[in-house]
Amino acid sequence: MIPNLTSMIIILIVATPILILILFLPALLELKKPKDRGPRMIMESIPEVKTRTVHVIHIANIEKEQKFDSSLIQTMTKIIEVLPNLEV
Amino acid sequence: MIIEALEVVFLFVTALMIAYLIRHYIFTLTVLRKAKKAKVDVVVNAKYEPTVSILIPARNEEKVIGRLLQRIAELTYPHDKLQVIVIDDASSDSTGRIADEYSSKYAFIEVLHRENSNGGRGKASAMNAGFKCATGEIVLCFDADYYPQKVIVEKLTKEFADPHVGAVQGRVVVLNEPQNMVTRLVALERIGGYRVDQEARDDLGLIAQFGGTVGGFRRSVLASLRGWDESILAEDTDLTFRVYLAGYKVRYVVDAECYEEAVDNWKAYRQQRYRWARGHMQCCFKHSLKVLKSKNLRAKEKVDGLLLLNVYFMPLVVLLSFIIGIPLIFFESSKLVGALWFSVPISFYSFVGNFAPFFEVGIGAYLDGRTRTQWLIPLLIFTFFYNIPICAKAFLDLLVSKIKRKDRSIWVKTSHLGNGNCYIVN
Repeated sequence: MIPNLTSMIIILIVATPILILILFLPALLELKKPKDRGPRMIMESIPEVKTRTVHVIHIANIEKEQKFDSSLIQTMTKIIEVLPNLEV
Repeated sequence: MIIEALEVVFLFVTALMIAYLIRHYIFTLTVLRKAKKAKVDVVVNAKYEPTVSILIPARNEEKVIGRLLQRIAELTYPHDKLQVIVIDDASSDSTGRIADEYSSKYAFIEVLHRENSNGGRGKASAMNAGFKCATGEIVLCFDADYYPQKVIVEKLTKEFADPHVGAVQGRVVVLNEPQNMVTRLVALERIGGYRVDQEARDDLGLIAQFGGTVGGFRRSVLASLRGWDESILAEDTDLTFRVYLAGYKVRYVVDAECYEEAVDNWKAYRQQRYRWARGHMQCCFKHSLKVLKSKNLRAKEKVDGLLLLNVYFMPLVVLLSFIIGIPLIFFESSKLVGALWFSVPISFYSFVGNFAPFFEVGIGAYLDGRTRTQWLIPLLIFTFFYNIPICAKAFLDLLVSKIKRKDRSIWVKTSHLGNGNCYIVN
């Protein structure tokens, strides 16, 4: 049996609500006052269709439209690059 | 002796969970790495413009069928190469009448009415009926509550220029996401599944999955496979594996997007997930050995295929790890566990479940530019635990039906109320 079972139970009783609050507080705030942009906008327009043997449809850059933070992603992927190639 | 046996079982289930954990993290990192690369323009070869049949199964969908058919009429694909077949599957509401109105306005829209005597037996049955009337080289499927991009047919069909492609799948986006907590959580799950999971499986050459809608097949492949299996609840998963076992591939097209109306209450969520879980388990029993023995699948496809087939058993594995792991905390550990000290952090992961899918959701939301919705991710713990009894019931029901040799799966249809209309921006 684990020693100090009583103290362990007391710690669990005290710490568990605190952990739960920390874990779910952001979610409760978002549910209470939603600030999310809502459903993702699906692309509609085809700005240009060229009538050649190979047609190119330019799709608008969704990431730029939504002010996508490419610099942060680049930093994260630079870190990932040191990992072995995961593609089989 | 008993303790050692429990520990061995516990380590086994932990190893299973670690396998899924590694898989999910690989997927997340793969998509992150791809996001770094410059976005490539979609190239469409105008010489490849096959005839397309679109199947729309509809049973009591009067609130949403008009919206979809109006959208179908706006598709940019040449209408002289389109055939749209609405399968009015023994509807008792105005679904058939609404579909007939569109059929009278647009020559390329047809309606197949099924009566109670031969209809209402589930989606697979309706799709097979529609498929008999399909004449297109490519057969696409859309559920009645969906709302696609105008260019979705071009984006999906271009993949079939590769003769090795047997099926395609597009991305599903939840339309009525802001409606309530259920729809927001379902939207999160969709983001993880479609933005990260499916895309990574496609990029890595693994088993991309046909999801039953917003996708389709090469007609000749579907005909050789004899259509949908009406005995399987997850007919889409079943077809996915039959396509791969036949030597073809499924391609996922992440920018072929379509809105869907997600379930908006917990009862509907439970019914839908029960159907998915039981159907998936049916596919597991049906295809696992075939996947292992197939000469058309590479080793990595076999591994991923088996993990995919068994994914709905994972909530049961988590439950087993709770049942075994909690008592083990109170027993003196054996020499076996003493030697495996690293089992402590592994045990922690097992206790709280597999967090890796939550990382998928988080990264998917970030890549979509939806950082605020990431705040809701901790709530997915509840859906994770909610899925445990759902999957347990699905497994028990399936076992009982197998023992009794009466596997009559009843299709419980999801009701659609057209709640997403207010979110459509034209």
